[in-house]
Amino acid sequence: MSEVLLEAVALSRRFGGLLAVDSVDLSVHAGSIHGLIGPNGAGKTTLLNLIAAALPVSAGALRFRGEDITRWSPARRARAGIRRTFQNLKLFPEMTALQNAAIGLHAGTRCGIFAALARPPRQRREEREIAAAACRALEFVGLAAQQDAVAATLPYGHRRLLEIARAIVAQPALLLLDEPAAGLNQTEAASLSGLIRRIRERGTTLVLVEHHMDVVMTVCDTITVLNYGRKLAQGTPLEIQQSPEVVEAYLGHGDELPAEGARAVA
Amino acid sequence: MSAAAPALAAPLSRAHKVATTLILAALVALPLSGPHQFILHMLSLVAISSIVALGLQLLLGFSGQLSIGQAAFYGIGAYASGLFATKLGMPFPAAFVLAGLVAALTSLLMVPITRLTGAYLAVATLGFSILVYLLIKNEEWLTGGSFGLMGIPRPSLFGFVLTKPGHAYLLCVAVAAIVYFALLRLEHSRFGRAINAIRQNEDAARASGLPVTLLKSQCFVIAAFVAGLGGSLYAHQVRYLAPTDFTFWKSVEILIMVVIGGMGSLFGAVLGAAVVVLLPELLREVGDYRMLVFGAILMAVMLFGESGIAGFLSQCLKFFSKR
Repeated sequence: MSEVLLEAVALSRRFGGLLAVDSVDLSVHAGSIHGLIGPNGAGKTTLLNLIAAALPVSAGALRFRGEDITRWSPARRARAGIRRTFQNLKLFPEMTALQNAAIGLHAGTRCGIFAALARPPRQRREEREIAAAACRALEFVGLAAQQDAVAATLPYGHRRLLEIARAIVAQPALLLLDEPAAGLNQTEAASLSGLIRRIRERGTTLVLVEHHMDVVMTVCDTITVLNYGRKLAQGTPLEIQQSPEVVEAYLGHGDELPAEGARAVA
Repeated sequence: MSAAAPALAAPLSRAHKVATTLILAALVALPLSGPHQFILHMLSLVAISSIVALGLQLLLGFSGQLSIGQAAFYGIGAYASGLFATKLGMPFPAAFVLAGLVAALTSLLMVPITRLTGAYLAVATLGFSILVYLLIKNEEWLTGGSFGLMGIPRPSLFGFVLTKPGHAYLLCVAVAAIVYFALLRLEHSRFGRAINAIRQNEDAARASGLPVTLLKSQCFVIAAFVAGLGGSLYAHQVRYLAPTDFTFWKSVEILIMVVIGGMGSLFGAVLGAAVVVLLPELLREVGDYRMLVFGAILMAVMLFGESGIAGFLSQCLKFFSKR
């Protein structure tokens, strides 16, 4: 087994009287694609938000590369190499696709106010490097032709890809994807699976919250199933599909995992 | 692979460059035509107000922080410069730069409130503006209180005192131009993109690793520095300071300049300053009703759309260039 990149120990998050995440242990191995699934309200997005520090942890600890990051701010985690996308797209709507992707590089670059005013050679060089790297990220997700388009004018599928480009432009160690296939059609979802695999090949580990079972079952190495905020099962896609508890949890809530899962296997 | 090098900032359009050059040339050449002293004085005040409005444009239009407290920094710059010159006999260039620095230092008090947004930030900055006004008014031993601060010398450069109104006017225009081009550079830089990103989606900015509080505080400091420079020019232009020059109403005026000029547009801030300073003078003929007419005009401009006068002009430009 490869080393553990991200580790959650008895992680909990309480909203009033509700334990949205109830002492969950999670080990994400470097180089893997780790799926988080579960019925609606199972706590998947909450868990993702805890990893990204979008929400404070109520109890438990988070370790990234062996370091305790439980109290780190979202920006500090992003700088350390944990990047994310959002379930309901959060782009910079008035900026071009290229500028959106360039924001992802802010943490790795240096030139500040005085360099912007004096424009020494190193500032112009850095601007060229930022533009080139942002451009490569757009090419990687397939948006090279849209680089000068204002984000708000892009069609929905392209905006999803742009968010991914912004998150991977700095080659993060860990990428958290929150329902990247939501709202995509079958063709777009299939090409998303390909993109997720290519991101892993570049050396980024992924944690994926997803309802689209075709995507989850085809790309994930490990799947963790959550139910009522607790870890219900963990294993390979095949093990998860054959787990009676998982099937029961989904059937009990009238969800469509069995049908979709069966199709993925077929 | 794309053929052309990717560009993070669209190159400035030719129309923009030509317009900027022509306006600047006209402003510099104006004193040669021998205009009335009063006109030069009013245009100097437009330039000074432009400087303060440009600072707020960075804070509000770029980084999205609504401040109704810029008159505080303007006043601090004005009094600092006036006091340095009258009490310490400091030469103008030193007093000018120090005025900006004092205002910038004071703005560090705003760091704790950069976590506030929208109406909450607006009220907090308004409170600061009122506070500074009261300090200026009541600390008589330092500021002269309600009697004001008198005897501020004319600006001098390299040993030459700028006694002619035309020269003082050129100084104001030069500083305004430098501030304008400096902020234009900031707008199209890594820093400018970052503060724009914070305005458009703060969560996404944090998730991308931007140090949001630091960047927001930097905007406050820059806006305050620039307001302080404007204040210094004002002090040496009118040569008499009274607390009533820096009430919260002045803060509101600076905000009006930015909003009617066009949020996010540096050129708009200059246009807005010109309108707010000159319009009441032009409306003098309607006598007591002038503020009424002024208010109605403000409402009419806002009805044109949120992009203000600058947005309206660029729409016109697009319309005519298409034909």
